[in-house]
Amino acid sequence: MTFVVWAYSEAEGVANEVASAADEIAKSVSGSAAVIDLDQERPGVSSPGRKLVLKASSPLADSPELAAEAIFRAAKAAGPSAVLLGATRRGREVASRLAVKMKVGCVSEVFRLKAGAEELQGERNMYAGKFLSTVACRFPCVATLKTGVLPRLAGRQGSVDVIDLGALSPKVRLLGRAGKKAGTVDLKSAKVIVSAGRGVKKKEDLQMIDELARSLGGVLGCSRPLSSDLGWLPEEHHIGLTGLEVHPNLYLAVGISGQLQHIAGIKDSKIIAAINTDKDAPIFQAADYGVVGDLYQIVPAIKKLVSGG
Amino acid sequence: MKIAVCVKHAVDESELRADPSGKPILQGAASKVSTFDKNAAEEALRMKAKSGGEVVIVCVGPAEAKKTIREALAMGADKAVHVVSDASGRDSLATSYLLWKALAKSGPFDAVLCAEGSSDTYEGQVPPMLAEWMALPYAGYASKIELSGSVAKVEQSLEDSSQTLELTVPFVASVVSEINEPRYPTLIQIMQASKKPMEELTPQQLSGPDAPTSLSRVLDTRVQSMNRKKVVFEGAPEETATKLLDALKAEGVIGA
Amino acid sequence: MESLYPDRAAEYGEVLSALGRYMQEKILPLSASYDAHSNSIAKARSELLKNGILQISHPKEYGGLGLPFSIYNLAIQMLGAADASIALSVAIGNTVAEGIQMFGTEEQKRGYLPRLVSGDALGSFSLTEPASGSDARGSKTRARREGGNYVLNGSKMFITNAGEADLYFVFAIAEKGPSCFLVEKGASGLSTGEDLPKMGMRGSRTAEVRFVDCRVPAENLVGEEGRGFDYIKAMLNGSRIVMGSICVGVAQIAFEKALEYSKQRTAFGKPISEFQLIREKIADMKTNVNAGRMMCLYASMLKDAGAEFSSEASQAKVFATEMSVGVCDSAIQIFGGYGYTTDDIHRHWRDARLLTIGEGTSEILRMLIASRELAHSI
Repeated sequence: MTFVVWAYSEAEGVANEVASAADEIAKSVSGSAAVIDLDQERPGVSSPGRKLVLKASSPLADSPELAAEAIFRAAKAAGPSAVLLGATRRGREVASRLAVKMKVGCVSEVFRLKAGAEELQGERNMYAGKFLSTVACRFPCVATLKTGVLPRLAGRQGSVDVIDLGALSPKVRLLGRAGKKAGTVDLKSAKVIVSAGRGVKKKEDLQMIDELARSLGGVLGCSRPLSSDLGWLPEEHHIGLTGLEVHPNLYLAVGISGQLQHIAGIKDSKIIAAINTDKDAPIFQAADYGVVGDLYQIVPAIKKLVSGG
Repeated sequence: MKIAVCVKHAVDESELRADPSGKPILQGAASKVSTFDKNAAEEALRMKAKSGGEVVIVCVGPAEAKKTIREALAMGADKAVHVVSDASGRDSLATSYLLWKALAKSGPFDAVLCAEGSSDTYEGQVPPMLAEWMALPYAGYASKIELSGSVAKVEQSLEDSSQTLELTVPFVASVVSEINEPRYPTLIQIMQASKKPMEELTPQQLSGPDAPTSLSRVLDTRVQSMNRKKVVFEGAPEETATKLLDALKAEGVIGA
Repeated sequence: MESLYPDRAAEYGEVLSALGRYMQEKILPLSASYDAHSNSIAKARSELLKNGILQISHPKEYGGLGLPFSIYNLAIQMLGAADASIALSVAIGNTVAEGIQMFGTEEQKRGYLPRLVSGDALGSFSLTEPASGSDARGSKTRARREGGNYVLNGSKMFITNAGEADLYFVFAIAEKGPSCFLVEKGASGLSTGEDLPKMGMRGSRTAEVRFVDCRVPAENLVGEEGRGFDYIKAMLNGSRIVMGSICVGVAQIAFEKALEYSKQRTAFGKPISEFQLIREKIADMKTNVNAGRMMCLYASMLKDAGAEFSSEASQAKVFATEMSVGVCDSAIQIFGGYGYTTDDIHRHWRDARLLTIGEGTSEILRMLIASRELAHSI
């Protein structure tokens, strides 16, 4: 029996990431991969093999509940060994529902996938990112893939097959959608934090740093001088030995010299990055990635790349 | 209104240490109510305050989970159901099945609330799996829940948008931490929690022929290296900004 | 906990862990700002009191939890580590509640205890005067009986919670001698002064309290006229243990900060924690904090057992307060220049420094301890 891997995400960029993972896995076991589109074919989504377009009487892409049912019915007929989805919030719901419908295991937010003879293996963060686990799931299985890690498959396309699944109706009605308002995520649970230090010259300049934080999906923090001495930000934003201890996936220190008291508050971060004009600033000894440069040039440059890319 | 809150007896990740070989010291590790379960409990208590009724804490966990369950009861819940089961080897498919069966036995419920994910393993799979087992309407990542009669309007928080969903009662939802500020139980409530009814069930009592086996497992866990890479980029702003972003993407720390 | 209270360990443990979590999450993060802004703890203190910390050792019939005083003592040790100003303010409030519980009439207990214990009202212990601290009998505050009232004249100094309290427990000399009175906020003739600038414990309010023909109903006399000195001695016994415990908490947090710093700060190519002289400090700090903790716990267990404990309470306070100043001093030394220039490090020393003075100076307590020994050795 041939080994088939399916790939799906409701978000196009992520779909291409999952497609490239499916391609890798399929190649490693001399099998094949197919990409799922829902409702209609998406030209922006590539596939290393076929494309399966699933439709039904109700829109599927916006309904994780129906998306899972549709993929399940198609899978019953085709028997893929693995269904890979992007670990977006909706992707996790689709994957979880699919696992129950198929009565198979589901591993969450994995990366570095490998296919063994009997099972899919991958790695995932555990215990707030302090640890890394290798997890495994017997075939057939479902997995959600950590987004933003894999390269995106591009410019490939195989044959397109459309499958009409007939009448399906959701239990949940989507009434509307809006762009996100300014969040009030607290620093202790934030996954991305961009912090400002003395290198920021004026209180008004904090807006630029805050915008950078949001564009990276994160929140604004600061080192002690900005909260306690200058009062530019409330004490709740102060990170350090005498402020908050945080453990985000990414901590980006902008214009922060990196005194020990500050480092004490960020040492459990998964990745620490820094921007500072002084190449001897202690922050570079405590960081994974550092940029020696003027934050007033680097920050706009990053913002341009993030919004453009 | 009868509202169930699913609570996990979680490893306290802030206290978890690694042994010299890098493995987490789980034996005797500090434990706690999974952080965001408190948000789910708080939301349930607010719903009870508006509509009257009962809040039931449901937990699938080892014998030691009683302390965790009492903490959730102390917030103001009325009673608890404890399915006594060791965590090791039990995956989210098996956990959600046991929760379904326990809820079926103690229900029917108008709403089942869960956290968006647990603070120790953060898979976020149990709530939608539970909804699937129960064949109930589901909204994940709820930042607001408004009940009127037999309809719930839910604000769902996605990566960069917010959706408004309409669900009929009974329903299942997972909540995000932004939904509310969980209350701190008063000392009197702490003392009274142990007097509240706690029903104990076993997996054997609950499992039927439809019970799944645990199909996914953890092979190995090791501490992530804390040595910083100390890579420094110098050069023109556009160049260094690009290098920095690429490095961060490769690390998987930016993106959804 | 299991070895001390085999039957109730789980229950006591849950109360203390819940409190510990509350302090860690709600109080500790803002502690530096309470030092930075004088007289700033009112909201945080009120929320903490309403959570029930003063219910711990008071009887159930007045809204308490009826747990041992040692459990309250342990709670205060945690609170001292979270924020010393809030700990001081809350502890003084508890001293007033204890005084009423031990010596008040049934009416006074029913009238004041439930509110003090539930956190709806705050007490202030008004003993010290501008010209008399250790020498309480030298008090110049007079209470003159006039019909159905007492009229108080005099002033008190360095009073914690002055200006914020709902109830003042006032020591004054009446016709029959030293006596205690309950004076409610808003009583005519009662006024309080400006918040006094302090070197530490800045979050809490400390001021003068003045009585100018201040009328209180005769029913507000605590116990009997002339027995006031006995009452305050008994109240101070418990209060002194608590002051020691606040200092244990302060020393604990200063020690933890210094320990962490010593692992990260490098000199001559290695962390300073590798050097022997730093290790000596670490060992001594740890030993001293522990010793202080044990002395306070022991004295509170004697109190719970109904045994005589005034000497042990005094010993615990002398030791714990003095060792705390020393531990906080060592912490500054370990931090080096940063210790001297960072408010958030040296505030622990500034906070601890009060308590070798307040609620019984080390000197007067040594007199008490020695005279107890000499009396016994006859």
